[in-house]
Amino acid sequence: MSGIRITNLRKTFGNYTALRGIDLQVPNGTLLALLGPSGCGKSTTLQLLAGFEAPTEGEIWADDVLLSSPRGVLPPEKRGISLVFQNYAVWPHKTVAENVAFGLTIRRLPKAELTERLDRALRTVRLESLRDRYPSELSGGQQQRVALARALVVEPAILLLDEPLSNLDAHLREEMRFEIRQVHDLLGITTVYVTHDQSEALVTADRVAVMKSGAVQQFGSPEDVFERPSNAFVAGFIGSNNELVGTSEGAGAIRVGDTVLTAPDRSAAARGNPVSLCVRPSKVRLGEAGGLPCNSLPGTVIRSAYLGEHRDVLVDVGVGRTIRAFVPPELRYGPGAETTVHLPIDACQILAPAV
Amino acid sequence: MGVISTSSRGAEARPVMARVPVVKTAILGAVVLLLAMLVVQPFGWVVFNSFHDDATGAWTLNNYARVVQSADLIEPLVNSLLLATATAVIAVGIGVPLAWLVSRTDMPFRRSIRVLTLTAFVTPSFIGATGWILLAAPNSGWLNVLWRSLAGADGGTPLNIYSMAGAVFVCGIYTVPYSFTMVSSALDEMAVELEDAATTLGCGVLRTMLSITIPLAAPAVIASFILSFIQGLTLFGVPAFLLTPTGIPVVTTKLAEFYQLFPPEIYLAAAYCMPLLLVTGGLFWMRRRYLGRKQYVTISGKTRAGRQIRLGGWRWPALLFALLMPMTAVFLPYAALLLVSLTRAWGQGLSWENLSLYWYWWAIFGNSETHTAIVNSLVYSTLAATLCVALGTLVAYIVERRLMTGASLLGAVATVPIVIPGIVLSVGFFAAYTRAPFNLYGTPLLLIAAFAATFLPIAYSHGGSILKGIGPELERAARSLGAGEARTFLSITIPLMGGGLVSGWFLVFIPIIRELSVAVFLITPKTNVMTTLIYNAKDGGNYEAVCAMSVLLLLITLLLVAIARPLAGLTGARRTSRKTAEAAGVPS
Repeated sequence: MSGIRITNLRKTFGNYTALRGIDLQVPNGTLLALLGPSGCGKSTTLQLLAGFEAPTEGEIWADDVLLSSPRGVLPPEKRGISLVFQNYAVWPHKTVAENVAFGLTIRRLPKAELTERLDRALRTVRLESLRDRYPSELSGGQQQRVALARALVVEPAILLLDEPLSNLDAHLREEMRFEIRQVHDLLGITTVYVTHDQSEALVTADRVAVMKSGAVQQFGSPEDVFERPSNAFVAGFIGSNNELVGTSEGAGAIRVGDTVLTAPDRSAAARGNPVSLCVRPSKVRLGEAGGLPCNSLPGTVIRSAYLGEHRDVLVDVGVGRTIRAFVPPELRYGPGAETTVHLPIDACQILAPAV
Repeated sequence: MGVISTSSRGAEARPVMARVPVVKTAILGAVVLLLAMLVVQPFGWVVFNSFHDDATGAWTLNNYARVVQSADLIEPLVNSLLLATATAVIAVGIGVPLAWLVSRTDMPFRRSIRVLTLTAFVTPSFIGATGWILLAAPNSGWLNVLWRSLAGADGGTPLNIYSMAGAVFVCGIYTVPYSFTMVSSALDEMAVELEDAATTLGCGVLRTMLSITIPLAAPAVIASFILSFIQGLTLFGVPAFLLTPTGIPVVTTKLAEFYQLFPPEIYLAAAYCMPLLLVTGGLFWMRRRYLGRKQYVTISGKTRAGRQIRLGGWRWPALLFALLMPMTAVFLPYAALLLVSLTRAWGQGLSWENLSLYWYWWAIFGNSETHTAIVNSLVYSTLAATLCVALGTLVAYIVERRLMTGASLLGAVATVPIVIPGIVLSVGFFAAYTRAPFNLYGTPLLLIAAFAATFLPIAYSHGGSILKGIGPELERAARSLGAGEARTFLSITIPLMGGGLVSGWFLVFIPIIRELSVAVFLITPKTNVMTTLIYNAKDGGNYEAVCAMSVLLLLITLLLVAIARPLAGLTGARRTSRKTAEAAGVPS
């Protein structure tokens, strides 16, 4: 196993810049999630890590081995990095056992050891009974486990997972999240997990790198990125969020339209620069502030939806801005109702826009 | 677990960089070299020669001046264009309705029609022309004889195969299989949902056909028109048999004439190839442009549920129409060939005493020349098809996976022979390889190389279309598990191509074994193949032998196809469902 060090990694395809120079340090045995919308550069990062693309600039190290630089790339087969693909890429012309054993055959293991490791791998992913099936006779979840076993059986130094759950149905996806985390806890392999699903990232990862437009927006623990987002994009991408775009009125104050609101300032923006006030819908209160210091705005309810555990209310607070609030279901607001929106100051953050 | 078992790590010093992959570089080098030898060099010689004077060998533009100025060189060009246009009109006019009837309606005997189309496809058109000479030569042609016996001795001779109309007819019916196959596979692959969507919007059967089915198949129709046109332009055997006797020249027969002159005007011939290349190249470019813009050509959905259009009372008239091609391209000519081949001496007429298998015995055992030609045909075609598919597949792989800079240039080079008429390529191979340092004249290698080069575009495009269905992830997975590029290609890519490769091999093998024009200048008595032997024997007037050998050639080819079909299916059967490959093939 090895840690990964990525320094100033840039990748361009013609005129298109896929990565704008990213730096990441992944300690040995860590599970890192690369999280971001499509086109953010997370898959490119993975292809570079696997050795299928050469960087335009920057370096990738595994411990003290230089894997990639613009001067050369260690070919994928020499890296000791296993990759699990979004579409599983289970070979349709090989049985489950042949698929899983492929990497061991390449390594010319003695027969006894090969059989032993193959059996153990199949047991780990609970596929012993299906070993002679062809992939076309397996469900999506089973194919997923074949791909995982095939990647793990060679005992890679690093495991890469490219949106491994995105082709599974919602129920199975939830189950497999925990399974992947479990396998990681069991084997402790340094893992990079690419996903666009925030809850997948939060559940599985030790560290999360939130990416957008080829740059890392925030690199931290799951708690960090959820509770202390570094900018408005991260706040919006992870969890539900309200964002009021305005300009800085100096530290701790933001002007939104004619109103000045106050909040803890994590933007470091100078007066007059664009900033956003972010607050989670679950923290927003309607009608009564409940004794908390709040930014309060008058508003009109536009829409109210009953979701069982809470009520999702959309309030127009003037000049085309709206605030979403998750309020207790017993509070009934019909469209058109006048109310006051309270944004508890401690729950608000003034953040800079995305990098 | 926990111990790292990958061989490379630790062994590599820091910083580790890629070594030059020896095997990969060697293979890429070999592919580039082979392409240069098979396509660039012969073609280059044709261009080079066209700028030289036949008498003095000096640089000149005179050859081109003669081509555009002299009337007896312009006339064949006009004739060729006429023949090509008429061929394409017939091929599309019969092939497209036929394709629709077979893949979309409940016409009876649809499967048989498909099989008969294949039979027409494996028939060399010059053998078809021979059959039609027996049937429709003025005076002696059997159909003319039949007409006279019905209409009286003064009924005249309504049919004359030795005419432009005759040549158009024969070229046309033997080109129908091309348009039929292209359009019917487009119709077969068309997702049924596309038509269902129209039906659910209240569209009737006829309206759906007119506004959805036909426009979607239009690219295939246009492509088949252009390919039929190129076919009509580049055919050599049919005009040589049907037009040369009446003195109607076309470009291909004129080219052959330059070679048979004394002294031969080889450099003028080279310049005379250029107008042909200009037309074929231009058409092919147009086709690429057109197809490039209409990406929906191969929209494929799930396998068709086989919703058929009911023809009702039209079923039998439709069948009559569908039988037009098999009747004229298969039944009639082969009946004539078979009858003649079974007579000891055709001139003595049909009688029991005259019936014999003598000529078959003669062809297989009695005559060393034919015996050699049969063996040569099989051996050369097998080797050439194998070389062709191997090279075509490798080029397709290099292009699809962008394994080197300039990969698409390789693909373009592999496609070039499609616009080069066989006879021109033959001229190029003659120029390139019958001199030092190669001196290949009279060797099997020369023929094998020329055959492989001629059909390289088929192998390349076929290989490319199979590879498009195999997602790069399937290969990358193997790479990340420690398999090198060569190993990945052999243990993942090739098995996945499987049955497709076998069918690709036959797609190349069949045209090679029936190819005439490429071989005609390159053979020597020792390297004669069946087609050239038949061609030359026909010149000698030995019709019984010609017919027996023609029937044998068809039987051998059909036998091999019959063996191949289940074989191609068998290799594909292991990947039980193609859905998996397709699902895995979608790039993220």
